[in-house]
Amino acid sequence: MLVDQTAEFDVRDYLRKEMMPHFLCPGCGHGIALRALLWAIHDLGIDKDKLAVVSGIGCAGRLSAYIDANTFHVTHGRPLAFATGLALARPDLQVVVISGDGDCLAIGGNHLIHACRRNLNLTCLMLNNEVYGMTGGQVSPTTPETLLTTTTPRGNTEPHFDACALAAAAGAGFVGREVTRHVPKLKELIREGLSHPGFAFIEVLSDCTEILGRKNDLGSSPEMMLRQKSELRPTAYRDTVDMPFRPNHLPTGILARNDRPEYGTSYRRAAAAAREAKP
Amino acid sequence: MSESRIEIRFGGTGGQGLILSAKMLADAMAAEGRNVAQTQSYEPTSRGGYCNADLVIAEGEVDFPLLTEIDSLVLLDRLAVKPSWPLLKPGALVIADSRLCPDLPAQAEQRCLHLPLSATALELGSERVTNMVALGALIALSGVCDRRRIERAVRASTPRGFLNLNMDALDAGLSLGSGIGAARAAVAGSV
Amino acid sequence: MNAIDPALAGRPAATLMSGNQACALGAIAGGCRFFAGYPITPSSEIAERLARSLPEVGGVFVQMEDEIASMAAVIGASMGGVKSMTATSGPGFSLKQENLGYAAGAEIPCVIVNVMRGGPSTGMPTRPAQADIMQSRWGSHGDYPIIVLTPWSVREIFDETIRAFDLAERFRTPVVLLYDQVVAQLSETVVLDVVRDTALVERKWASGPPADYKPYAAGADGIPPMVRPGAGYRTHTTGLTHSENGFPTQNPEAVTRNLSRLFSKLDLNREAIDAWHTLGCDDAEVVIVAIGITARAASRAVELCRAQGVRAGLFRPKTLWPFPEDALRAATANARAVLVPELNAGQLSREVQRILGGAKVDGLFRFNGEPLLPSEIAARAAALVKGA
Repeated sequence: MLVDQTAEFDVRDYLRKEMMPHFLCPGCGHGIALRALLWAIHDLGIDKDKLAVVSGIGCAGRLSAYIDANTFHVTHGRPLAFATGLALARPDLQVVVISGDGDCLAIGGNHLIHACRRNLNLTCLMLNNEVYGMTGGQVSPTTPETLLTTTTPRGNTEPHFDACALAAAAGAGFVGREVTRHVPKLKELIREGLSHPGFAFIEVLSDCTEILGRKNDLGSSPEMMLRQKSELRPTAYRDTVDMPFRPNHLPTGILARNDRPEYGTSYRRAAAAAREAKP
Repeated sequence: MSESRIEIRFGGTGGQGLILSAKMLADAMAAEGRNVAQTQSYEPTSRGGYCNADLVIAEGEVDFPLLTEIDSLVLLDRLAVKPSWPLLKPGALVIADSRLCPDLPAQAEQRCLHLPLSATALELGSERVTNMVALGALIALSGVCDRRRIERAVRASTPRGFLNLNMDALDAGLSLGSGIGAARAAVAGSV
Repeated sequence: MNAIDPALAGRPAATLMSGNQACALGAIAGGCRFFAGYPITPSSEIAERLARSLPEVGGVFVQMEDEIASMAAVIGASMGGVKSMTATSGPGFSLKQENLGYAAGAEIPCVIVNVMRGGPSTGMPTRPAQADIMQSRWGSHGDYPIIVLTPWSVREIFDETIRAFDLAERFRTPVVLLYDQVVAQLSETVVLDVVRDTALVERKWASGPPADYKPYAAGADGIPPMVRPGAGYRTHTTGLTHSENGFPTQNPEAVTRNLSRLFSKLDLNREAIDAWHTLGCDDAEVVIVAIGITARAASRAVELCRAQGVRAGLFRPKTLWPFPEDALRAATANARAVLVPELNAGQLSREVQRILGGAKVDGLFRFNGEPLLPSEIAARAAALVKGA
């Protein structure tokens, strides 16, 4: 079912109203990410009937249920593996994966690096809130050092992942990162990712005010967003400004893009050749 | 059903082509309308260590597909003796390579023959076709399968480049076996 | 077993084929068009064969990064509307359990082949066992229904693989094809150009207006129709407990309603699911209950027993789960003793005891990687009759 693409974007055209109110906490950035995704889908004129959204377990995993599309809320860490099967079986679908930092980098980390390597036409949104929020605030692979969580009662001492560097190194066709504060930019990044023929990995820096924020006295949502700002630098400035006094932990924007062959296309071409070769 | 059951083992070490010999014989038997079950060892040691390829052949259904009483045993390595000997049927045919399996347990109940299988293969140009010589000898001595059937089966599953060598080796094995068979018949006749 | 049909005389000779090869061919004949797997002994031949054959019939083969991913990909492909399968052995079967439970709970058709090898853990990768009988029924957490088929020959693996797809699609359930290393890697002469008397089963697809469709609302047969993404229904699938509309719920009435239907949906259709094979049970004093290679030994043991005047019979479940209880009761009604030989520490025998009571059921267990021999089974069966 195609929403009138020429009309202005109205998020309600893409949400399951019967699922409202949603269950996200006040101040959570995930809703903004969801809105940006749906806006990008609207911009691209993607048919909701041909849209499949696969999500894992956790706060991010719950988002699929709100989207008026073919939605699959699968097991913890496995949405990329599930989506790989779905996209290979149904290349006519636009398959989007919504995952969290724990889902995507910890329990599902193996699937992430192999999805990057395989470069199948999938778009993976990793909503990074730096904590296991759904289970009550345990340390995740992206929790910054020193932060308190329920399983790091004296402060986190484990180094955290740079998910985008990981995805790029593993060969993802498209890698980008954006914050929820810049909604139009986030929408544009997701739009670029959805248009990319291959595996697109997009890290959305979300925030968890209710669990991680409270635990560490990080303030309310606006304050947490400003904290992100102090640690981020758009890639546009990478080559022009050197700021050694403000280390650029997490560059934003499109961080990697290549034209490696899309796996599904390669497979189908080889399969067609095999069929022709067979008498 | 059990009366028609024939059990054959090719025993030796991995890489000797035992499974190929077994499969060729199985194909030949299948072409005669017999039912065949074929099993083999799947150990990592099958790459160099003890290995066996087994056949159970029956007119009707093969109920139990594993060996219980061996009718014919081909031994291409001394390693194969110990695991196979307890399974031999009284009066079973045992064909052992003279060089690779020189010592056999003394047992009057078996028809034990030492044949120069690997030496014959070497004479033909490659020890690798010992399995084909052994297959030929087994068929000549056991009469389990028609000569033309086995030739057809060997031809069907041999790459073109090896066809002459394999056929020569099979032929040499058949002659080796029928020579022994004829000699035995002559000895038997003279008694 | 692997008998050559007399009607086929004059036709091309039977070919020698392994159980795993027959499984791959059966999958293609059964309509499988997606396979995801991970290498593991002794099942890899299935993947190897399908890697070659699936693209030739317009299907997809993918070797995933691990066993868990393979199972997840199979579920994903099946939800895309394609008949899907994976194959593994014990360690991989353990890893697949969470997603297998998801498929059972979300009612997603799929076929999982488990070639049983010695366990526990890495165990004996090249040796047979029958120790996943209970895991195949209860391996994932929570209550759920499942179908498990257990063929005993190369020919039957071919047929049962087709049946596995038919049952999976018809009853919206994962179906496990469970057989041991011996029958997996055993090669037998088979003729596979046998005409099936029934067409392949296709999934029951929803056809009404999307607004009225509920993914877990079923009629009298307990099986809700499914939808294909792209057909306009836009449904939600979740591993959370859900109501008829597919969305998560923890409402006790809604949970009870949906799970009660789920738990009973196979029981409503037992006639179409149950399958078994008997040999000489009518006049048997002792009935041997066995599967796989042990049943092959037992069928020989029946003959050995009868040759020495002991009236033995064989009962072999072809559908292992749900266990064909009524058929077992009927087959053993006149027997004084029941013997359950198996390659484990006593799994099938426990089920048989549950059904028949413990008094006349005895077990014969082996778990050292060696199969039970016909003579051993025959000796124990004869001893039971004489002792009974």
